[in-house]
Amino acid sequence: MLISRRNFLKSTATLLPAFASLPMVFRRAVASSVLESRSYSSPYPNRTLIIIQMAGGNDGLNTVVPYTDSRYYDHRSYLAVSDEDVLDLNGELGLHPVLGKMKLLWDQGLLAVVQGVGYENQSYSHFESMHVWQTADNKGKLGEGWLGRYFESLKGMEDNIFQGLAVGKLMPYECSNLNAPIPVVSSIDKYRLEGSSEQRSEALLKLYGSSPLDAPYGVLLDNTIEAVYKSSEALQTADKNYQSDIQYPETSLSKSLKVLAEAIIGDLGVRVGHVKIGGFDTHSDQIVEQPDLLQEMSEAIYAFYEDLKAAGRDQDVLIMTWSEFGRRVKSNGSGGTDHGAAAPMFLIGSPVIGGVYGENPNLRNLDKDNLRFTTDFRSVYSTVLEEWLGAAPEAILGGQRFEHIPFLAKS
Amino acid sequence: MLFNKDRRLFLQTAAKLGLSAGALIIFEQACSNLGATEEVSSLIPTSQPQVVPTFVPTPTIDSIRQTVVPYPIASLTPTVDSTSQPDIVYATSTPAIDKKVIYDPRVRMGHLLRRAGFGASKEEIDKYLSIGEAETISYLLEYDKSDDSNVESRIESLNLDLSEKLVDLQRMAMIRMMYTNRPLQEKMVLFWHGLLTSGWKKVGKGPYILQQDELFRANALGNYDDLLKAVARDSAMLIWLDSRVNKKNKPNENFARELMELFSMGVGTFTEEDVKESSRAFTGWALKKKVFHFQENQHDFGIKTFLGNTGNYDGDDVVDIIMEQSVTSSFISRKLFEFFAYDSPEEEVVARLAKTFNNSGYSIRAVVKDILTSEEFYTEQAYRSKIKSPSELIAGTIRALGIESTVTYQVRKYMGPMGQELFNPFDVSGWPENEEWINSSTLLNRLNFVNAVAEGNRRHFDYDLVNMIDLRTMSETKDVVDHFVNILLDGEISEEEKGIYIAYLDGLLKGEDLQTGLTKDRLASLVYLVMSSPDYQLA
Repeated sequence: MLISRRNFLKSTATLLPAFASLPMVFRRAVASSVLESRSYSSPYPNRTLIIIQMAGGNDGLNTVVPYTDSRYYDHRSYLAVSDEDVLDLNGELGLHPVLGKMKLLWDQGLLAVVQGVGYENQSYSHFESMHVWQTADNKGKLGEGWLGRYFESLKGMEDNIFQGLAVGKLMPYECSNLNAPIPVVSSIDKYRLEGSSEQRSEALLKLYGSSPLDAPYGVLLDNTIEAVYKSSEALQTADKNYQSDIQYPETSLSKSLKVLAEAIIGDLGVRVGHVKIGGFDTHSDQIVEQPDLLQEMSEAIYAFYEDLKAAGRDQDVLIMTWSEFGRRVKSNGSGGTDHGAAAPMFLIGSPVIGGVYGENPNLRNLDKDNLRFTTDFRSVYSTVLEEWLGAAPEAILGGQRFEHIPFLAKS
Repeated sequence: MLFNKDRRLFLQTAAKLGLSAGALIIFEQACSNLGATEEVSSLIPTSQPQVVPTFVPTPTIDSIRQTVVPYPIASLTPTVDSTSQPDIVYATSTPAIDKKVIYDPRVRMGHLLRRAGFGASKEEIDKYLSIGEAETISYLLEYDKSDDSNVESRIESLNLDLSEKLVDLQRMAMIRMMYTNRPLQEKMVLFWHGLLTSGWKKVGKGPYILQQDELFRANALGNYDDLLKAVARDSAMLIWLDSRVNKKNKPNENFARELMELFSMGVGTFTEEDVKESSRAFTGWALKKKVFHFQENQHDFGIKTFLGNTGNYDGDDVVDIIMEQSVTSSFISRKLFEFFAYDSPEEEVVARLAKTFNNSGYSIRAVVKDILTSEEFYTEQAYRSKIKSPSELIAGTIRALGIESTVTYQVRKYMGPMGQELFNPFDVSGWPENEEWINSSTLLNRLNFVNAVAEGNRRHFDYDLVNMIDLRTMSETKDVVDHFVNILLDGEISEEEKGIYIAYLDGLLKGEDLQTGLTKDRLASLVYLVMSSPDYQLA
């Protein structure tokens, strides 16, 4: 007779204190609404961190433009943003002209720009560099995503399937954790299990729970079916109750952020929300492509912020953007830029102390045509983990300590 | 290297053990504090993976094997058709690494047809069993001999617009996967579309994507250097990775980098200087009137130094130099083995395949043949060790149940939400794999797809569930369960799972006997449950 996996985990957990973070076994076959049963361990139960991944490597120099540095214009030829067009921030830096809504946030003190973010031994491969950012590790030692590790640290301490919520088709790697798979939803409309009956659900959950200890991907499948049952109904309810006068633009990122707004306003207990906007790999035609994406982002973020504000939840939400690298300082011959290194990050929202943090890009001192990083990206992660989510950053960031950046208002 | 195999292996072992990697690390630390590192090291793979049986072992199997090796061990569930005695030819190109080999011919055949194709119905499996495994592999490999006019006329009858409509391209691809007589060729097309990918969102309308699809089909099992040289000239690729704007004095690195990183050598095996030099070699490889055109005045005829070689190289020379690198043969061999068999193969397996690749003049057919005839391919480590991609799940379901689905709108409707919008991958890395296919949204949509199939709306999924069973031969619910578990899961499930299916069907019957109580709806519910199961998500 085989030991079923849940029984194994249960018995092991009692044997070894080190397994305290393992998932609790199912308490009931068919999950009821999460709203009734959740409990929190987070010191800030109402807070949410929103991650916006700008996939492909966003050109930081054309996002936060050093328009007072003549070297920028030397390197960028016709790709450069004119000093007449930039939206001035502080007399030396300006936002790309399509970032008008971001400028509105800046004017209200709700936008922090962290300059020169990167890491040692920059990788110029999309996937390797994304992996560094997503695992928060440039040595390849830590498995799974940094937020996945955060979710796992909460598992067993709070019964909340919405520790995270990713909008998109795939699980973002930074959120991935086999033991604590957060729900992933692409549209609430389609997030509905068809032909489900109690008998079926019960048999199905038994099947998933009975797969043998050593069955490949058994844990993942079992945890995911739990997420399906628990999250689909709750999201449908949140969607039904959601009312808002804010008009979101008809873009993919806006739709994604709206799903997160519904979940936050519907009080589902989302600790971390994740959305992604792709297409920043502008090797050619950058002058057309990047502004479209930046504009989509800026307008989506603004609508999202307004929506939260109208619902009285803006104080509870912090937005963070990241991209796997910036781009080469010198533009290439095809109207684009090749893979580069350091770039700015944005922190946005009511909890933020607006301003520019870190050192501005130094175009005189390049590292093989690339900007040198001056802020380790994990300083930003560490700040957010400890000061916003109330988590212990060392445990999640591989035992290392990173200097915090004072972009968050003290709570 | 960050993307090394150890990490993957580590995660997979963790997954198989029911732990997250984080928990494994904690476990390791806890044990080392107790001074028990030796035991732990066997849990954490270094070069040799921990072999974990994926089958349902009976306590006697090991002792049987010790005395009677190699002898076909009876399947745990009896095969349906015990009258056909297949000639079992076990390929033994090299002694397999010490792991459990599967001997049941029907299970082997089901596995082979899923991995080297898109699965098969019970009738097809019977047919292949009667010609034998070796013959079946030959049939798969030498697909040119199979007439596939049936699938071509299916496609023609739909009047698809394959230049202007992504939807129509996707319908075409699905029809091929569902109905082709050349399953391995189509499986390779899917492989190349994942590896040497291009996407509609950047390439756009025009003949491009269709041409690339045809290129992959024509070179499905050809020589890899030929394929890479053709891909470097392929219109869709020229657009997708910006080669068309790669000009003398203004090189664009996009194609050259991905050629090495994603298509042939792997990350960390070349320098940034190699990227710059090889992009010069591809300058002037442009697009004119929608086809490849060598624009001489934009080609850099200067001397390049690439991977330690120096010369006046062009793109073909770059491919030739890449093919000579030992990392290339390992890279492509590993990719193919992982696609067909299991992840993180042993180094000796990769080395053997790499040798086959080099000795055969870079023949993909030779490597695939080696894989499909290897003992490793038929081990418990390979069996049900991969998550089905959405294409495999959909086409496999259609094939296993013998469903007619000429409309295909319904079929492709489910692909995107499961995470695989054919011809439009997320990014240059192509399709996800294994655990990446599974999240709450994709799993929910997998379940909704099998629900639609089980409900069997005639317009979309035309098949006769009731006539798939002969109730006269069945006396109890267990027989019905066995029947569908044989068709959909090679008959391979644990006793515990079987008990769940039987109890479920008994619950539906509410005491009525089989002959009168087994309505179409109840059968459909059982089939839904089998296809929703965790086992069915595995290839």
